[in-house]
Amino acid sequence: MNAFSRRALLRTTISAAALLCAAVPGLAAPAIGQAAPAFTAVDSKGKQHTLADFKGKVVVLEWTNHDCPYVKKHYQANMQGLQRQAQQAGVVWLSVISSAPGEQGHVDGKKADELTASRNAAPTAVLLDPQGTIGKAYDARTTPHMYVIDAKGVLRYAGGIDSIASAKVEDLDKASPLFKTAMQAVVKGENVAQAVTRPYGCNVKYKS
Amino acid sequence: MTVSLHTFGRPCWRDLLFASSLALLLAWLAPSLASAAESNVQRSPRATVSLVSDYAAVTPGQELRIGLRQRLAPHWHTYWKNPGDAGSPPSIAVTAPDGASVGEIAWPGPDRFIVGPAASYGYENEIVFPLALRVPNDAQAGSQLRLDANADWVVCEKECIPEQGKFQLTLPVEASARPASDDILVAFKTADARQPQPSSWKATASAGESTLQLVVKGAGISPRSVSAALYFPDSWGIVDHVAPQALEVEEGVLRLMTTKGQGYAPGPSAGLLAITDGGGQKRWFALDLTPAAASAAASAADAPSTLPLWQMAWFAFLGGLILNLMPCVFPVLAIKATAVAGMAGGEQRAVRLSGMFYTLGVLAAFMALALALLAVRAAGGAVGWGFQFQSPLFVTALCWLMLAIGLNLSGVFEVGSALAGAGQELAGRKGHAGSFFTGLLAVVVATPCTAPFMGAAIGSALLAPAHVSLVVFAMMGLGLALPFLLLGMFPAIARRLPRPGRWMVTLRQGMAFPMYATAAWLLWVLAQQAGEAGLRLALAGSVLVGLVGWLVGLGQHGAGKRWWPRGGALAGVAGLAGLMVTLHASAPSAAPASAQASQAEPYSAERLAALRAEGKPVFVNMTAAWCITCLVNERTTLSSAAVQQAMRERGVVYLKGDWTNRDPAITAFLQSFGRDGLPFYAFYPAGKEPAVLPPVLTQAIVTASFEQ
Repeated sequence: MNAFSRRALLRTTISAAALLCAAVPGLAAPAIGQAAPAFTAVDSKGKQHTLADFKGKVVVLEWTNHDCPYVKKHYQANMQGLQRQAQQAGVVWLSVISSAPGEQGHVDGKKADELTASRNAAPTAVLLDPQGTIGKAYDARTTPHMYVIDAKGVLRYAGGIDSIASAKVEDLDKASPLFKTAMQAVVKGENVAQAVTRPYGCNVKYKS
Repeated sequence: MTVSLHTFGRPCWRDLLFASSLALLLAWLAPSLASAAESNVQRSPRATVSLVSDYAAVTPGQELRIGLRQRLAPHWHTYWKNPGDAGSPPSIAVTAPDGASVGEIAWPGPDRFIVGPAASYGYENEIVFPLALRVPNDAQAGSQLRLDANADWVVCEKECIPEQGKFQLTLPVEASARPASDDILVAFKTADARQPQPSSWKATASAGESTLQLVVKGAGISPRSVSAALYFPDSWGIVDHVAPQALEVEEGVLRLMTTKGQGYAPGPSAGLLAITDGGGQKRWFALDLTPAAASAAASAADAPSTLPLWQMAWFAFLGGLILNLMPCVFPVLAIKATAVAGMAGGEQRAVRLSGMFYTLGVLAAFMALALALLAVRAAGGAVGWGFQFQSPLFVTALCWLMLAIGLNLSGVFEVGSALAGAGQELAGRKGHAGSFFTGLLAVVVATPCTAPFMGAAIGSALLAPAHVSLVVFAMMGLGLALPFLLLGMFPAIARRLPRPGRWMVTLRQGMAFPMYATAAWLLWVLAQQAGEAGLRLALAGSVLVGLVGWLVGLGQHGAGKRWWPRGGALAGVAGLAGLMVTLHASAPSAAPASAQASQAEPYSAERLAALRAEGKPVFVNMTAAWCITCLVNERTTLSSAAVQQAMRERGVVYLKGDWTNRDPAITAFLQSFGRDGLPFYAFYPAGKEPAVLPPVLTQAIVTASFEQ
């Protein structure tokens, strides 16, 4: 009809092509404000969970890999503190391990429980995702990578645990606690000011 | 003797011992002398790291470089300042003596490594992270400059290992500087080849729903000089790091189409463009991205080059043609249709000339509008398409004019015979003036209707160089005029029209009602603009228009020519002029179109920014009382219970900007999206970049936009 709709058409065609290509290695990131992707997973104790089971409660997903230095940084004390805080607020905390068999961080249920005990961690459950199904549904890229889902099942936060991308414990105090702020806001039913932030850490060791 | 005996007695043994100790000492000293420009070296199975200097000996006040040198095992990498999806950049803290200064890392351009669904930006093999160093002016020759550095870095293959090191580098201060060994100089040189080079290229980003297109324009870009290209943003969130970047190159223009990052926000952002030339040589260029719309305003001359002029003209022509179907133009077309009906069976030449003059009128009006807009723009003013409707004086005048035309069509008075006197031969000329005038009017009235269809086109045509915009506007005018022009050119069509007769009078009288409706609507627009006071003046004027029309008619039809109807009409016209002056003096009291039924808040850039900062989703509606499409959208969609409820449920804040009167803030807002007219709707999801909604809304479109 005019110059611009034609150009727009051309652009859409190119975009569609680019998206098609992008879909191969990339993953569609779940959108903030929309229903969080549903999942079914078995935890370290062999119990099956689905996201729908937790409707009515705020849910935290934490991608983890105990051998990753960035995870180690936070498991010196910070992560356990956040888990206890979540527990007190009635938040369901699911640690997710998406490392494939043979990759760094891959564990069986027994080892996962040992890790929880030895690190004095307090997740509600540790989900084993060796196929990477949940990880890919959430486009989890790093360990740690944090997500907060509200009581209605809507994704409210996706991103980093804090603002300083480093493996140094000294940086914990200097960083702005992005995830903690988001979790507190969701618990209070408030809006999350920074709903998407940079996740940092090791890449998730997916099955190749 | 003793000595000699001694010497000879145990000669070899002693000397050998001495010589070998000396040799050992030398052997131990030699490498440290040779690599005096390098600190202690820290080794792991993954990385060999040290602090190096490009000078082995320095002079007081000298400026040189030190660097963190990393030699990596095969397949291991370290990171750029934006590490990509995983990892983190190295950091270094250097302690130098008083008077010395150490700069920041000058980051070498990175490569991209893809591991599974994640991408890293960094370096393999060997890299030096250079920092500028200035030797104190008061350093004494013969002394030593000691630097202590604490560095940490993460080195990754598939897995990541954080490492750290303490480095001590001692540089002798001498009378003349001595460069470091070749080995170190080569390491610096290799890293320097990666240093981003400045470029004069203009880079713009336009974001789609999930895509990001980068357009880089400038000299030196050609299919021969660019065989591969990759954009590296300085910060996280601009692009999806792992997504392919599809490259298109033509002379002077390079395009990369990729997936938008999760943290994308429209606004300037810095980064690098890595270009591999035909010979396989890779170079990095500094690239500052600006959002496409903003940069179009900044560099107007670039805007139209994406489409050849003839194509722009052709599309403008088609656009103009389509305008004939728009509701705004309808009242004017009604006038024209009446005129053409009057010519049915008339002289061919007259019909043809009428079409020509109408076309000229349309063209003149388009040119005048375009020139006026360009002039105001050139003077730095902020105006948009349809701007004439932002003047209450214009709206009032147009309202009276429409009323007068309506009265004329209703047969209250005749145009021409009264003013031009009698004389058949003059009728032809008068008819042409009428055609010209109708053409002018068509454009002036049609502009608010053009925006929904042509908003973006008009917006960028106005940003193009003056001659281009004039051509585009002229073609749009030709399109609008085409139907009547054809009618004149091909008498065969005109001959198909029914023979003149009684039906023409009925048609003419019927056509008066679109005029009255337009007048009524304009009064309502005026009420929004100038409040009750303005409306009072305009209504009084409308009565006067009626009176003048009746008086003129009386003078025409009445038995005999009396002086008083004409005198009365003149007095009435004077009264209208007086009202106009009063209206102008009372100035638009700018009673802003109130937020009506919905819980809309008035738009301001500050309020929008504040809401965005609070993380609230925001819906922005830019409207004006004279924008019919806007009003229809509000009535049927935005004020509907379903949409209002969806807004409440999702905590969407509804901001409404009123462009009924001139408002530079709103003009600037529209221009930031490359628009120049209304309607305009945008939804800002919390923490994400805005989505622009189509100009014609449905409840489903609006609620679906909230789902993002």
